[in-house]
Order: sequence, then C-alpha cells, then structure tokens
Amino acid sequence: MPRYAMVIDQSRCIGCMACVVACKRENDVPPEVYRTRVLEIVQGNFPDLTTEMRSELCNHCDHAPCVTICPTGASHYEEDGTVQVDIDKCVGCKACIAACPYNVRYINEEHGYVDKCSFCQHRLKEGKKPACVATCVGGSRIFGDLDDPKSEVSVILRKTSHRVLKKSIGTRPNVYYINQYPKKA
Amino acid sequence: MELSITGTNAITYPVMHVWDWRVAIYLFLGGLSGGLMTMSAINYLRSERKSGTIQSLCCWQIPLMAPILLSIGLFFLWLDLERKLHGHLFYMTFKPLSPMSWGAWIILLIYPVMILYALASLPDEIKVKIKNTFIKNTADAMAPYLSKLAKLNVVFGVLLSIYTGILLSSLVARPLWNSAILPLLFLASGMSTGTAVMIIVAKNKEAKLFFTKLDIWLIIGEILIIALMFYGHYTSNAAHQEAIMPFFNSSHDTFPYFLSIVVIGIVLPLAIILKFLEVRGQDTEKEISRFGLILMNTSALLVLLGGAVIRFALVYAGQLSGYGNYTMM
Repeated sequence: MPRYAMVIDQSRCIGCMACVVACKRENDVPPEVYRTRVLEIVQGNFPDLTTEMRSELCNHCDHAPCVTICPTGASHYEEDGTVQVDIDKCVGCKACIAACPYNVRYINEEHGYVDKCSFCQHRLKEGKKPACVATCVGGSRIFGDLDDPKSEVSVILRKTSHRVLKKSIGTRPNVYYINQYPKKA
Repeated sequence: MELSITGTNAITYPVMHVWDWRVAIYLFLGGLSGGLMTMSAINYLRSERKSGTIQSLCCWQIPLMAPILLSIGLFFLWLDLERKLHGHLFYMTFKPLSPMSWGAWIILLIYPVMILYALASLPDEIKVKIKNTFIKNTADAMAPYLSKLAKLNVVFGVLLSIYTGILLSSLVARPLWNSAILPLLFLASGMSTGTAVMIIVAKNKEAKLFFTKLDIWLIIGEILIIALMFYGHYTSNAAHQEAIMPFFNSSHDTFPYFLSIVVIGIVLPLAIILKFLEVRGQDTEKEISRFGLILMNTSALLVLLGGAVIRFALVYAGQLSGYGNYTMM
C-alpha cells in the first residue's frame, strides 16, 4: 500500500494560483470556500524585502487532531496514509475544524458536511496525480509515495533539507516544504 | 509584514469562528445542570446524615430542573449542528479518544440517573396529582432508592460539569482552551452556579445558609483557578501568551474580552462579599430578613452572571487563539 505525501518547493512557486483554480474545478468546491490556498508574505523594510510564496492545504497528518476529535468516525485515516472525510457520517459538529491547527477545513454550506483536500483521491485511484500537482506550471508541487524509495518525493526528502508546518504541535504532517530542488549550481 | 492570501475560507480567516452563542449556552446549562444534580443530592444526603431519614431540606423542584436545563442546553447544541437530521450518527459508533463521542454517550448514562432521581424525590403531595400511572408507579418504585440515586447524582453531576471543559481543553490547535485546568474551572463554575440556583429556590433558612457558605468556598476556588489559568498561559509558549492577550487589551477589537474579565473581576468578588454579609449574624435570627433575602438572591444572580460570562468569553476568545495563524511555519 502506498503512503502518499506532497513536497512543495517554495522556490518554484510563481504565485499563478492555477492550483487553487484547478482544485476548485476538479473537486467542485463551492464558490465561497477553498481546499488549498497560496500565501504571499512580504517581510522586511523597503527596499530590503523578501517574499515567501507558500501553498497550504490539508497536511494529511499521521497524528491528525481532526481524526481524534471526530465523534462519528467521519474523519478517518485511509490505508494510503491520507486523512479523508466520509461525508455520509459527518454530523457537522465542526469539532474537526476547531481541532485543525492548519485551518484547512470548511463547511459545505449547501449540504452541511465538513470538507477538505483529499489529495484528489478519486484521481489517485485512476493513477493520476492530484489536480493541483498536475496543473502546477512551475513544478512547485511534487507528489508521490513515501514507501517507494525511488519516488520523487522520497528522493527529495532524502537529499534535501525540508520542514513541515507547525512541527512542534506534533501532528506529523505529510506535506513537506523545501527551497530549491535540485540545487542551482 | 504584508500578507496576501488567495484561497481563504471565511470560517477560518482571519480567525476561526465555528462555535457561537449556542455552544456557549450549552456549556453554561450543561455545567449548571451538573451543579444542580450534585448540590441537590448533597442536600438530600445531608438530611439523611442529620436525621437518619432522607428528606428534602428545601426543594423537590431542583432535581426536576436539572434534566430540563440539560435538555435546553442540548437543544442549543443541536441547533449548532450543520446537519441536524444526522444527530443519530453520534450513536452509531464509540470513539474512545474523542471527547465529543464521550459526551454523546455520557448523556445517555446521565439522563436515566437524573430522571429517576427526580421522580424518586417527588413528595407525596405532588405524586397524588400525577395522572400518568407509569410515571406515578415509577416514582413510587424509585422512592426507596432515593439515597442511592442521590449518591450517583453527586458523581454524575461532577462528571457532567467537568466534561464541558474537557471538550474544549482537548483541542491542541486552540491554545486558550488547551489547558488541563479548563475542566476544573468549568467544574468549579458549574458547581457554583448550581449552588446559586439552590440558594434562590430553597425556602428553608438552614439550607439557604448552608449553600451560601458552600458557595463562598466554590467562588474562592473559581477565582483561584481563573488566576492560575491565566498564569499558566502567561508562563507557557508564545501561542499561549498571545491567547490570553484579548483579556488584557482594551483596544476596539478585543474590548468584549477585556470587559468580560472586568465583569468577572467585579462580579465574583462582589458575590463573595454579599455572601459574607448574609452569613454574618444569620445564625442567631429565626428568619432571614427581607434585606438578607435580597442580598442572597442578588449574590446568587451575580454568580450565575459570572458563570455565563466565563463560558461566553472562553468560547469566543478560544477561537481567536492559534499557533501563529497564517504567518508562521
């Protein structure tokens, strides 16, 4: 069984937001909500400024607070290591939204259930990559199987220093952030 | 720093707001009915210890109020569900690590205990008025077990009150709630508000004075726990320090939280002072004076106000807190 993870190379993100649009289109996400977002953080004193582009989505944590808190088992771990929502079991108590340190869940207002990024599980079953990865023009989003030592994500994480969001909380995320791979000469 | 985000959800940006006044009311009424269960049961058990026979020293209405108030609270919680017709899914599984799941199942355990206790405590003059034979027969059948049911209610009342705090304290993502002392605060507050209602409803002077004295200790405990909670957050990491800032910042954005801490800071100590005034000299007088009654009821109402303010302030302020929302890695 694979163990899926995503690597985000921040140096390759050009802020085109194609991932945001592709995600909404692929997953029929309601107009007012999003499964992924791109942060553009400008810091420093003019003219010495730095810009960080950061794509964020569900981290599909190995120790996910949303799964722990869910009273009905709607939020659950799949065998492929992803965290999914069984919408038929969701009562809309919103505890998982409060429990998520990454603020990536939302309520589908039309149907009342909680929803979030699924790593495009329906595409994975067809052997395709998630829509955001497939559409990323800068090659910033890289997706693969951590249990396969030859997969691109495994190679990158072996060879490149990487970090995860809010590591100290102990959620053990499966979305990793790197800066520049392969390294420029 | 300049931050622009493409793809934010209004429910979490710029701060999370998923639970509102409905959840705050549930937490308040849940704590209150837990307090009523425990305190009314203590009232019965005191009479048993004193006279050897179990009888109400003040009021049979209190055990009835507990399930009614809990039901009202649960109604508000149900109103907060996004899929109201799917509520039965809580009972399709048991998740041992989910406080939400515990809550759903604990309610199923608590209701029979509190309802049977309420029926057992009905006095004969009320029972003769009951037309439904099933209820009447159950009340008669339960009456001999009043002592045992009262003891169970002491335990379950504590469980119910403390549970309302456990629910919030288990959320690691919200530093203000993520403190083991929060359940204790909700327990102290629940017991204190339960005692306040006992004082208001009780007719008997001795019971009123007993619960007034008890409430003094509960409020002192509550104030100490509030102080310790803030101190604990202040000495913890940056996220926890930031989490309590709304309570100490009187700017426009956070004024309601600042006001809540001012209200709690005035209301609870004032309630204690009034209670000391009530207790003083009352042992020698036959009946409580009219002025004494006004003092008692005012201080009890202040305690109820303080309990409600604590729930509302913590439910809303907790959602402002987080681990470096949107800017930190």
